[in-house]
Amino acid sequence: MKETLKNRVLVFGMAALLLGLSAVSWFHAPNAYSDSERRALAQFPNTERDQILSGQFMSEFEVYTQDQFPMRDRFRALKSWNALFVLRQKAVNGLYLADGFVSKIEYPQNDRLMNHAAERFSYLYQTYLQGMKPYLVMVPDKNYFLAKQNGYLSMDYDKFFAEFGEKAPFLNPIDITDKLEISDYYRTDTHWKQEKIIDVARYIAAHLGISIPEDYTESTLSHPFYGVYYGQLALPLPADEIRFLRNDVIDSLKVTSFDTGMPKEVQLYNEEKGAGKDGYEFFLGGSHAVATIENAKAENSRELILFCDSFGTSIAPLLAQGYAKTTLIDIRYIPSSMLSSFVEFENQDVLFLYSTMMLNNSSGMK
Amino acid sequence: MLFSGIPFLYYFLPCVLILYFLSPKKLRNFTLLFASLFFYAWGEPKYVILMAVSILQGYLFARLIEISKKPWCKRLFLILSVAVSLGLLGYFKYADFFIENVNALTGLSLPMLKIALPIGISFYTFQILSYVVDVYRGTVDAQKSIVKLGAYISMFPQLIAGPIVRYSDIETRLTERTHSIDRAAEGIRRFIIGLSKKVLLANTLGEIVAQITASTDVSVLYFWLYAVAFALQIYFDFSGYSDMAIGLGKLFGFDFMENFNYPFISGSITEFWRRWHISLGSWFRDYVYIPLGGNRVGKFRHLFNILVVWMLTGFWHGAAWNFVIWGLFFAVLLVVEKFFIGRFLEKTHLFKYIYVLIFVLISFVIFNATSMMEARFYISAMFGGKGHPLVSSEFVYLLKQYGSVLVLACIGSTPLVKIGLNRAKKSEIFSKILNVLEPIVLVALLLLCTAYLVDGSFNPFLYFRF
Repeated sequence: MKETLKNRVLVFGMAALLLGLSAVSWFHAPNAYSDSERRALAQFPNTERDQILSGQFMSEFEVYTQDQFPMRDRFRALKSWNALFVLRQKAVNGLYLADGFVSKIEYPQNDRLMNHAAERFSYLYQTYLQGMKPYLVMVPDKNYFLAKQNGYLSMDYDKFFAEFGEKAPFLNPIDITDKLEISDYYRTDTHWKQEKIIDVARYIAAHLGISIPEDYTESTLSHPFYGVYYGQLALPLPADEIRFLRNDVIDSLKVTSFDTGMPKEVQLYNEEKGAGKDGYEFFLGGSHAVATIENAKAENSRELILFCDSFGTSIAPLLAQGYAKTTLIDIRYIPSSMLSSFVEFENQDVLFLYSTMMLNNSSGMK
Repeated sequence: MLFSGIPFLYYFLPCVLILYFLSPKKLRNFTLLFASLFFYAWGEPKYVILMAVSILQGYLFARLIEISKKPWCKRLFLILSVAVSLGLLGYFKYADFFIENVNALTGLSLPMLKIALPIGISFYTFQILSYVVDVYRGTVDAQKSIVKLGAYISMFPQLIAGPIVRYSDIETRLTERTHSIDRAAEGIRRFIIGLSKKVLLANTLGEIVAQITASTDVSVLYFWLYAVAFALQIYFDFSGYSDMAIGLGKLFGFDFMENFNYPFISGSITEFWRRWHISLGSWFRDYVYIPLGGNRVGKFRHLFNILVVWMLTGFWHGAAWNFVIWGLFFAVLLVVEKFFIGRFLEKTHLFKYIYVLIFVLISFVIFNATSMMEARFYISAMFGGKGHPLVSSEFVYLLKQYGSVLVLACIGSTPLVKIGLNRAKKSEIFSKILNVLEPIVLVALLLLCTAYLVDGSFNPFLYFRF
């Protein structure tokens, strides 16, 4: 190719690309929501005089143009691909691929937020749980199994468990780390798989003094499950699938949510939610401020109070088999001080079940 | 508005290019002026008036200087114009610095003005100063068209981060300029290379720099990595912006001066400053150093001249003591080279490069510090003075995470690629291959930069604050 021809190709090719992408940017209808990133996208900003003079319009317009750029997800995939496979970076936006799993670096240990979580738990114990014997399960996040082994920055988990235990001495720890392995987690999501945690549930149940069945019928949700990391990493990875456990007792469990202040029956396994934006909401329809699971087939009248994050929604149906009533409480969605309006605390079994990610990032706990 | 942003690339630039090339030739300067004012207003709606006042005073005083017959009159108008320019710069950029220091020295509690720094004020003020001084010296004629002068001073490609374009360099282009496919291709090539330097290298290197403030696992080598990463970041950030400015200039028919020439391969600090921010260095040489007498004076006056110029160079970069110290740090090095070790350095081979790199790295640690205390801490930590271990796991991780980018940046900061390409072009086959590859690579780079901009929130621009 001669110099002149090359220059022509360059100028006209570049002009076509620039004007083409510009035209699509200007004229395409803005999207309201990004399914892959699970967030609302910025909309065209307010054009009031004050907004413009203060420069706020310009700042918001910049975000709007990024969020609404044509083929945004493909461009994000291009960035991830370049970072991970061309530049051979270990992670992109903190996300990494190791052993076929996507994980997000959880580092460093955040003492301030660990203290916050411990302080919230202490408040709950002092206010509602005096005289009871609450247990604590800390669910290791995927980095526990992947990070150090693959050369990523990793918290010292033994130190983390020990230090959190010291911060919350009123909780009796149940160590489940040797019951879990990386294959017990979804490849594209943060969470554990229900069908893989039967032994964990039975182990916790044993500490609580109840027994739950070992055998279940395993079913598979027909809709593919793209976990939270799938969209964040933006690479075309294979989907996970959600499998769930059933038996006569589980099928008879009745779940009531108190999210609106009024009791409302919800499905234990919600297929509609499983096909929605966050497939993990298949379990109990997602996290609730307060929800109860009633077991009409219970062989006792014992009750369980389960303080938990989203990891609790998949294990709760298993634990609930051993109780007449299980109450799930998620203090991210209800202030701890308001709990007495919804829950009567009187000598129940109590379990705090939280992932290490939540304890290390507990600013949302109220 | 940053060149390295979606609003500029896919909204502003296409509109301006279309408007500009649809405009009749006589109106093209007006189109440029209008676009530049809009560009400036986008970032600083309130300060457009300030820039308009600056342009107007430069225009009027230059005209008055030219039409005045008596030397004292010319001198008076020059002094007035310089006073207005420096007064505005002093008020908007340095007022709080002076108040803070007066308060510290006297124990007074004068209230701070808390004025937001107008973007690019240091650049356009220096352009106006050089224009008015050149008219006074008679090296250029005063521009009779306010539109042309306004287009020169406010021209968006070089408005907020230089290069500091001299009026004499583009005087004829303001009246008569040509456009061609070859010039446009050259401009596009330069712009995309600059954009890639900024988005793909500088921003990624900036991630390393940002991480040190949050680090809980520092080490001696970590601090060196920080210094290297910041030096490379600021180089690719600023030189990338200059490349984009030069490329855009070519698209609109102008030739701006080069601002960088591989400074990290310098064999002395003197050479480093001939290769780094060339337009600023030459500005201070022509408008401060030489008028002060330059080196054609006694030894002590010469020393004084060097100290003044470099203190001002540091102060130009920011209203804080670390910038003044940064400038004086270079002054000391330049004096030492000039009077003591210059000839010795010339005779060495590897040592002179190591010497330059170490002192330049230290200088940028001072430059990037938020206070002199922080600078002292970082420099001490680099030399093991804080008792940190030599290596830490975070350092090792960052090397793995950013190793390829660091290697690319190191290679890119030398002329190796340029030399390699020039050699390859001498072969007919390679030349043909390169001609085919070039448009493909440039398109790929633009798409990749777009991908990083669409996804990334980390897009600082270091020279924005000057």
